[in-house]
Amino acid sequence: MKKCLLCGQYFISKMSFLHLFSLPQKNCKSICDHCLKKFIHIPEKHCPICSGNLNQNKICSDCVNWQKIYGEKLIINHSVYLYNRAFHDLMVNYKRYGDYVLYAALQELCAKELSEYKADVYVPVPTSSEHIAQRQFDTITALYGSLVPLTNVLGKKSGLGAQGEKNRAERLRSKQSFFVKKNFTINFQKCTVLLLDDIYTTGRTLYHARDALAKIFPNAKISSFTLCR
Amino acid sequence: MENISHLAGRQWLSSQMDFSTKKGITKIKAIINDRCSRCNAKVWAKLPNGKRYCRECIGLGRVVEGDYLIRSGEKVNFPQTRNGGLTWDGKLTAQQEKIAKDLVQNYINKQNTLVHAVTGAGKTEMMFPLIAHCLAERKRCCIAAPRIDVVNELFSRLQMAFTKIRIGKYHGHEYREPGLEQLSICTTHQLLKFFHAFDLLIIDEADSFPYVQNPGLNFAANNALKNNGRMVYLTATPTKKLLKLVKIGKIQQLKLNRRFHGHLLPVPKEKLFLRPFLEGKRINPKLMQEISKVIKAKHPLLLFLPKIDLIKPYVSALKNEPEFKQVTIEGVHANDVQRIKKVDKFRRGQIQLLVTTTILERGVTFNHVWVIVVQADDKIYNTSSLVQIAGRVGRAKTDPTGLILFCYQKYTSSLRNAMKQIREMNK
Ligand SMILES: [Zn+2]
Ligand SMILES: [Zn+2]
Ligand SMILES: [Zn+2]
Repeated sequence: MKKCLLCGQYFISKMSFLHLFSLPQKNCKSICDHCLKKFIHIPEKHCPICSGNLNQNKICSDCVNWQKIYGEKLIINHSVYLYNRAFHDLMVNYKRYGDYVLYAALQELCAKELSEYKADVYVPVPTSSEHIAQRQFDTITALYGSLVPLTNVLGKKSGLGAQGEKNRAERLRSKQSFFVKKNFTINFQKCTVLLLDDIYTTGRTLYHARDALAKIFPNAKISSFTLCR
Repeated sequence: MENISHLAGRQWLSSQMDFSTKKGITKIKAIINDRCSRCNAKVWAKLPNGKRYCRECIGLGRVVEGDYLIRSGEKVNFPQTRNGGLTWDGKLTAQQEKIAKDLVQNYINKQNTLVHAVTGAGKTEMMFPLIAHCLAERKRCCIAAPRIDVVNELFSRLQMAFTKIRIGKYHGHEYREPGLEQLSICTTHQLLKFFHAFDLLIIDEADSFPYVQNPGLNFAANNALKNNGRMVYLTATPTKKLLKLVKIGKIQQLKLNRRFHGHLLPVPKEKLFLRPFLEGKRINPKLMQEISKVIKAKHPLLLFLPKIDLIKPYVSALKNEPEFKQVTIEGVHANDVQRIKKVDKFRRGQIQLLVTTTILERGVTFNHVWVIVVQADDKIYNTSSLVQIAGRVGRAKTDPTGLILFCYQKYTSSLRNAMKQIREMNK
């Protein structure tokens, strides 16, 4: 019997005979079936650029707007789950309340999917030092750090407020706050880089992170991965 | 220095704001012997820096090893109000009157009380004299209820009765910190914010889910009460734990086994089903018969289901029934954003059949309503929730009877005990 990290109920983690022969399953040790059901995967039919919601067009409305700014240079973003109510609640507990141990649940939710996107370097989108000090942990590093080797090449200027506290328009207006750390010796040229973040909301954060990297390493092939879209 | 008199009777974390140097302020370690000082939960989760923190009460601000819990013991001086602000001119029945008097006497004798009253006994009104007595003594009183809906309903009833007093209402959807009202109504979780604040604390629905599930809330309730304060527990189905406290003399039990209108509780009917209640997209025909009897009798129907996931399939199956073409059917559950609106529509007769989870099991009154519980043998229905659900029926003075039907496939001890309790209260 295990205790679900999300709802506190005891449950039996399924490791039955059947599963030994089936396709690789999510190996859930910290989330019960009932809670797991609330997280919905990105549907088969999604925006080929950002994993977002598709209407009639070939790409989503967010990407149409990004096209106006970046032309062909859009980031290919892979996301695993829809940012629904259940995911929102989970992220509120993890980020706002600082329930650190939820990182284990989040890892289980995306470990298999992340392993499908191989890259030469994995770069976490940084959090401001004030937030790290407040929470006493870095949400993105805690989430991805034991799944892939992280290269902390990006830094974030402090004193700008969290994206999560802004509305959509404010998010889109937010200015570049990322920079490539000085004295960084690894050369990223020609590398494949996977930027890692938790939620793709407007894409503003990831485009800023990409721009900061691309300014120093113009030949790097940069894409991104987030838990939710 | 900042004036913090508005925090009298409150507790907070040193990481939130630290006034530990002020007079009347005490501080204790936020984690003592593996336990959280705010909610008493065992603390096991660790931050990367090795410090432990409490997950249980994290929504009120994270308790981390090394933090302090700051408590304000400052005195509050409430003004004198005539009759404790009570302006209610309704009349209690003789039986209610007796309980109300005993409650006041117990308060005077510093005696904690358990009021065991059947559903629909009018327990809120019975509390009025006690609350008024407490307020007239310029003391502070709080009523804690398990759920937001119940808090809202209690609040509006108390506001009508105590028009001369400003009443505080606090729960997770109010987004306000508790103030210094002499009378407050809040959800149980809010009690975690208080320490030695109240002279009288009334715990409504003391048998219900949050207390049973979460022993920390009992801890919080005891902490929120002043050292010489009095506790009153209200319930229709006392828990074993409460009855034990009665037995050893810690609490005195007062019983009221008649509804306010003097009629008996409607005794549930039970029906065994051999086939599933929902097969594919069709409702079991026998269940359909029962539902349609209620509709034909022109009674609003609450159809209880054990799980949220079942609401949608049942609603669409019911809507597909040709004979229900003219019937307005809706489903409602805890996460439904339209919940309040739908419940209101049902109350006003604009919805005839409301499919619901246990969220409507208690604290709500619908005149003339009849009830069918599908899968009444599901483990989500314990004795207390079955008694509560049955208690939705026959609450109106003009219509004190009605149908309550438990549909089951396998008889459970909860069903047996619920039936037994209802019959016993009717003796
Ligand atoms: Zn769970
Ligand atoms: Zn897109
Ligand atoms: Zn705690």
